[in-house]
Amino acid sequence: MSDRMKIFLLILPAMFIIVVLFFGGLLIGLMRSFNYMPVIGLTEPDFSAYISVFTDKEFYLSFLLTFHIAFTSTVISSILAIGAALLLRRNFVGRRIVNFLFQLNLTVPHLVGAIGMLYLFSQSGSFARLANEFGMIQGPSDFPALVFDPYAIGIILQYVWKEIPFIGVIVLANMQSIGEDYESVARSLGASKWQTFRFVLLPLIFPGVLSASVMVFAFTFGAYEIPAILGANFPAALPVLAYRKYTDVDLAARPEAMAMAIVIALLSALMIYFYVRYSRRRIRG
Amino acid sequence: MKQNLKVALMATSLILMPAVGFTDTADGDALNKMSWDQVVELGKGGEVNWFLWGGSDNINQYVSEHLGGRLKNEYGITLNRVGLSDTVEAVNIVLGEKESGVMDAGSVDMIWINGENFRTMKQGGLAYCGYTDILPNNTFVNWDNPAIANDFGVPVEGCEVPWSKAQFAFAYDTARFDNPPKSIGELIDWVKQNPGRFTYPAPPDFNGSVFVRHVFYHAAGGVDSLLGDFDQVKFDAAAAKTWDILNDMEPNLWRKGKTYPASISAMEQLYANREVDLTFNYEPSSVGLNIENGTFPPTTQGYGLMDGTIGNTNYTIIPFNSPNKAAALVLQNLLLSGEAQYEKARPDVWGAAPAIEVARTSVNVQANFATIVAHPNVAPAAELAKAALPELQASWISAIEKGWMASVGR
Amino acid sequence: MSNRESVSIRSFRVLTGVFLITWLILPLIPLAIWSFAHGWFYPDLLPQTWSLRAWKYALSDTAGVIDSLWLTIGISLAATVLSILVGVPAGRALGMYKFRGKEIVELMILAPTIVPGIAVVLGIHSVFISLGLNNTVWGVILVHLIPTLPYMVLVMAGIFANYDPAFEAQARSLGASSLKTFWYVTLPAIRPGIIVGGLFAFLVSWSQYILTLLIGGGRVETLPLLLFNFATSGRNDITGAIGMIYILPGIVILLLTAKHLSGRSGAVGGFGQI
Repeated sequence: MSDRMKIFLLILPAMFIIVVLFFGGLLIGLMRSFNYMPVIGLTEPDFSAYISVFTDKEFYLSFLLTFHIAFTSTVISSILAIGAALLLRRNFVGRRIVNFLFQLNLTVPHLVGAIGMLYLFSQSGSFARLANEFGMIQGPSDFPALVFDPYAIGIILQYVWKEIPFIGVIVLANMQSIGEDYESVARSLGASKWQTFRFVLLPLIFPGVLSASVMVFAFTFGAYEIPAILGANFPAALPVLAYRKYTDVDLAARPEAMAMAIVIALLSALMIYFYVRYSRRRIRG
Repeated sequence: MKQNLKVALMATSLILMPAVGFTDTADGDALNKMSWDQVVELGKGGEVNWFLWGGSDNINQYVSEHLGGRLKNEYGITLNRVGLSDTVEAVNIVLGEKESGVMDAGSVDMIWINGENFRTMKQGGLAYCGYTDILPNNTFVNWDNPAIANDFGVPVEGCEVPWSKAQFAFAYDTARFDNPPKSIGELIDWVKQNPGRFTYPAPPDFNGSVFVRHVFYHAAGGVDSLLGDFDQVKFDAAAAKTWDILNDMEPNLWRKGKTYPASISAMEQLYANREVDLTFNYEPSSVGLNIENGTFPPTTQGYGLMDGTIGNTNYTIIPFNSPNKAAALVLQNLLLSGEAQYEKARPDVWGAAPAIEVARTSVNVQANFATIVAHPNVAPAAELAKAALPELQASWISAIEKGWMASVGR
Repeated sequence: MSNRESVSIRSFRVLTGVFLITWLILPLIPLAIWSFAHGWFYPDLLPQTWSLRAWKYALSDTAGVIDSLWLTIGISLAATVLSILVGVPAGRALGMYKFRGKEIVELMILAPTIVPGIAVVLGIHSVFISLGLNNTVWGVILVHLIPTLPYMVLVMAGIFANYDPAFEAQARSLGASSLKTFWYVTLPAIRPGIIVGGLFAFLVSWSQYILTLLIGGGRVETLPLLLFNFATSGRNDITGAIGMIYILPGIVILLLTAKHLSGRSGAVGGFGQI
């Protein structure tokens, strides 16, 4: 059997599933967003759903909020994850426990963490009660609004909580497989700790950090259940808005939901594009 | 003639078949022509997929254990309770199925429903209708009562069967203060004097929506002028005043009105944890249930408003494409039975007011009802009923909800 | 490599470590406390009344929590197994061979890790209704494949990139059949990848919410759906109990596979290799 045949057969099942389910789903969503579904008699594609969506102030506010959530969570998680990985590289008292907890965190679903965050950070949550106990606040309204708030602080905290271990485990594994030889050489040539990190280690781990960050950005942009639990009502995160429109009793809202879903997909595609371009350049450079 | 032959053949094969052979009873028209005994025979050994709001473990237990147990023991029917966060999810399933051409193998056999969801189903041709006379226990229902014959102003016309009555009531914490506001007018003043201590869930949440309707009635000077078909002129006049009231109220609400709780449960949490000081619910017995399960402080006390609160009836409906209609009919008959309505009325089970005329049930059942002692912290149903306000037609309600979202919610 | 760190840096490490430990388990604590509480109101730091009612309800027959647990485990296991069966060959192709269009294939297979589920599932939903796959367990397992498969392929591609096919060639030249070669030569070498990939696939499926909600239509009630329902209806005690039950299997599986998650096994490094 030729190599080409072998390769084809090896990737066939995976490609079949991805093409049919993933791209198929996207395509159908795209078609329905244009109100085009010949199977049930809609044969005239139109832009009405997109017009409704793009003239809706709520959509822009949701989009901005969701972008802010994704961007802030990703940047904070990535930076702190690199720091955490640097920490865990070396041995110290309690390192085993931290390592174990990092991995444990990977197994805790976002939903559980989000509920926990709600119990901790709401204005009548555990931290508020502690503050009350120590006389720092008089009542719940004195505690800062961290959940259901317009800056999505609670949501970002929750994402950071989960994504630092996610990115951290990947970065740590990367660091361990790279080894410390490059850094030793740099140090022996007189480079300072910061210079070694910035010019030797960082470029080496950057591809891993970037690919993990892209995944985190995409996830935090498109997740539904966390903003549903921790988020404000208006503006709601984009996936929450899309789901609301999809389950609206008014059927005319459904194509609008599909249109929003396509916008989410487009933004992610944009991310892929920039990632591919930027990472190829860096790796080659 | 052909129908009867089909039925006879099915019945014969059922008798000849051992135990658990149940027939697909998707053909509602056929069922409508049968006798009750025939329907029960068809339903025996089958299953019913009942979709209902699943946020209360009391209701879940009542449905799964009491009703499910009786169905199993008396008819061999399996009850599959499917819990929803919102009834509209089930309506959407049926809607989606109709759109995709699934006409007699639907996944939903029954929905706990009322109001706009019912209107969607009735107007969309999604409901199975015309069967209510077959149910023996249908005689307990007072269809002459317009509050039962009309679901939020939409005539029921045999498309659903009543289950419980509910009436909106407020609640406050006696440990925090006395003298809660006893009318919408008083509430408006109370909010001004107590900034940040009140809020309401954003429509289209069921409870938030009915709260806004109370303000709407207040703004219109009473509900009587609003009854009947939707009138744009009347609506605009009352709506303008309502949005003014609510917008004025906004800066004095919880979080300065920048956000509203997403649901009634979220608001109840705020109340329980002293973030706000008043709560309300369309199901007044929930106060008792919440105290018992630890959600509310035990010093919570439910109460009604002096100028009345809105009441409604809620129902169960069978979708047009249910394949288990016979079993669903058996279940609905059971729901209307005196025993099931009594069990549901017990405060330690649910405390839900019966939708049937208790006076029409057996002597035993009436005696049982007489023994019910309402939970002391729940606003007494009889008191509330003295000042019951009707719901408007569903078109008013969607207009009010849309209006709120456009004029206040942003 | 200097191993001598100053005292201040070392104590900084320990302090950060302590902070991290607290931070990582913090959100789980109120959940655990709630599961044993009967009413826990502001401003109490701890519940005034304790009770086992939430646990009794969660473990009872009518609540359906235990049924949901088995259902969720079943779905996630099925999705994982399917991902392995499909992902291992694909990972082999991507890790060991160069071919025209390879970049496009890679991008296509990885696209689901970057395009969120909600963008895709709304479209799939309408198709599945016509296919009758809606509200079925198999429909849910199928949709779960969308996010789980890419992780599997990613990890396996990383493993196969470092894999030397010479051993297989040797075994074949010694007369071993394809099957024997695979079982005794290939499989042991790629086992760490299968374990790590399987772990990620299982966890991704385990925590799925919106996909199961839409395709399962409420009929397939996995634990995350149950948990969400109780969390949003204010029954914090039951939420706590179900939450504790929900994180348990993940922890168990982690304990069984932990050693494979460090960089030395080369499996996790696959994430940085695309």
